[in-house]
Amino acid sequence: MQLLRDILDKQVVDREQVKIGKVDSIVAELRPGKPPRVTAVELGSIALARRLGPAPARWTAKLAARLSGKQQARPHRIAWNKVRDIGVDIEFDLDVRRTRIFAWQDWLREHVVGRIPGA
Amino acid sequence: MKKLLEISLGVVTSVGGFLEVGSMATAAQAGALFGFQLIWAIVLGTICIIFLVEMAGRFAAVSHHTIADGIRERFGFNAFIWPLLAVLLVNFLVLSAEIGGVAIAAEFATGISFRWWALPVAFLAWLLLWKGTFGLIEKGVSMLGLVTLCFVVAAVMLRPEWKEVAVGAVPSLPHHDTAKYWFMAVSILGASISPYLFMFYSSGAIEDQWDKSYLGTNRAIAGLGMSFGGTISVGVLIVAALVLGAHGVNEVDDYNQLPLMLIPIFGFWGFVLFVASLAIACFGAALEVALQQAYLVAQGFGWNWGEDLKPRDDPGFSLVYTLTLFLAAVPIALGLDPLKLTIFSMALTAASLPLTVVPFLFLLNDERYVGQHRNGVVSNAAVIFVIALGFVLAVVSIPLEIFGGT
Repeated sequence: MQLLRDILDKQVVDREQVKIGKVDSIVAELRPGKPPRVTAVELGSIALARRLGPAPARWTAKLAARLSGKQQARPHRIAWNKVRDIGVDIEFDLDVRRTRIFAWQDWLREHVVGRIPGA
Repeated sequence: MKKLLEISLGVVTSVGGFLEVGSMATAAQAGALFGFQLIWAIVLGTICIIFLVEMAGRFAAVSHHTIADGIRERFGFNAFIWPLLAVLLVNFLVLSAEIGGVAIAAEFATGISFRWWALPVAFLAWLLLWKGTFGLIEKGVSMLGLVTLCFVVAAVMLRPEWKEVAVGAVPSLPHHDTAKYWFMAVSILGASISPYLFMFYSSGAIEDQWDKSYLGTNRAIAGLGMSFGGTISVGVLIVAALVLGAHGVNEVDDYNQLPLMLIPIFGFWGFVLFVASLAIACFGAALEVALQQAYLVAQGFGWNWGEDLKPRDDPGFSLVYTLTLFLAAVPIALGLDPLKLTIFSMALTAASLPLTVVPFLFLLNDERYVGQHRNGVVSNAAVIFVIALGFVLAVVSIPLEIFGGT
C-alpha cells in the first residue's frame, strides 16, 4: 500500500456508508530507530488549505476560528485504528453524527436550508 | 424490452443535455455567415463528445465514482483545484447564458425585456431542483426538449442540396472572414464538447444507480443520444444558412434576428416553435448546469450529495445550486447581452478542455477503478485526439476571440 496513492484524497465513509469527506491529509508519527507510523487522517478545509501553502493555511485557520470558535481552528482527526476497510473508498468504524465533522452542515441545515420552505 | 425503453429514455435525455443556447446560437451564426461550410465542426464535436460521454458513463457504472471524484482521488487536491476552479467559472458563465436564453424566449413571448425574466427563471429552476427528483429533471424536462426536432423537420422541408450538406461535413478553408471562421469553429466545438455534459452524465449514472449491466445501455445512449443532438444542431445550421443567409442576414449579432428562422417554413407557428425550443432547451440545460456545479463541489470535497435526497439531508449540496442559480441570474438581470455572453462562454469552454479531458486518459486506464473495462486502443486514441484538439483550442481560442469575436 502506498500512502499517497491509496489513502490521500480518497473518499471517507462512516460505518453507515455516509460520505463524510475526502482524506485531506495524513498524520504520521516519527519514531526513533523505527519507520514512521500513520496515526490518523485529517479532514476539513484547514487540512486542505495547508496543502496549498502556509499563507492559505493561516487564512483558513483564522476564518474557521472566527466563524465557529477556537476549537474548530484545527482539522478533524480520525484515528487510524478506526479504519475498517480500504478499497476505492476508505471506511472508518465511526458514526459521523457523533463527531464534529458535519457541524457546518448541521449549522446550515438549522439556520439556512431548513428555513426555506420545502426543505 | 426494459433495456430498449431505458435506451430510448436515455437518448431523449441526452438530446436535452446536448442542445442548449450555445449549440443553437453558434450553429445559427455559422449557418448565416458561412452556409454549410462549418457542418464539419458540429460533426467533429459530436464524435468527440460521444467518446467522452461513453467513457464517463462506463467509469461511473463500473467504479461507482464520478469523473469529478476520480480527478480528486487520483490526482490529489493540488491538481484537482485547477479543473475545479476552471469548470466552476465556465459553468457559471454557461449557466448565465442559459438563463439568458430562457429570458430572451420569454421576451419574445411577452414583449417584456429579458432583464426582468432572469430572476423569475432562476427561481423556477431552483424550485424544480429544490422539490423535484433526479428522474423528474432528467426525464420530464428532456421529454419536452423533443420540440427542438422542429429544426430537423424545417431543414428537411427546405430541401437543401444534400450533396452540399455532405461537402460541408468535410473540413475546408474559408474564402472570406478567416479569423471569424476559425473563431466560430472553436465556439461550435466548445458548445459541443462541454465539460458539464460528460461530468453531469457520470453523476447521472450514479443517481440512476448504474452498474456493470448498464455498459451496453451506456454505449447505445452515448452513441445515439449525442448523434441525435448533433443532428438537431446541424438542422439549426441548415435552417440558418437557407433562411437567414438567403434573406441577407449574414451576421447574427442581435438575438432578435433568431426567431425569423422558422417563420418562412411554419408561418406564425414557426415563431411559437422557435420560442418554445429556445425556452425548453435552455431551461433544461440551466437545470443540468446548476446541478453539475453542486455535484462538482460536493464530489470534490467528499460531501453527501444526491438530487433525490431532501435538501435538509444534503445542505451543502443544495446550497451550492441555490447560490449558483441566483448569482448566475444577476448579470442577465443587469442587462448583459445573452448572445454575446453565450458566444464568449463557448470559446472559454473550449479553452478549458485540456483540464477536464486529460484526466480521462488516466482514469479510464486505471484498473483500480475500471478493472477489465479499461479503455481499448480506439477509445485511447480518441482521448488522445480530444486532448490534442483541446490544447489547440486552448491556445487559439483567446487570440481568435480578440480578432474574430463579435
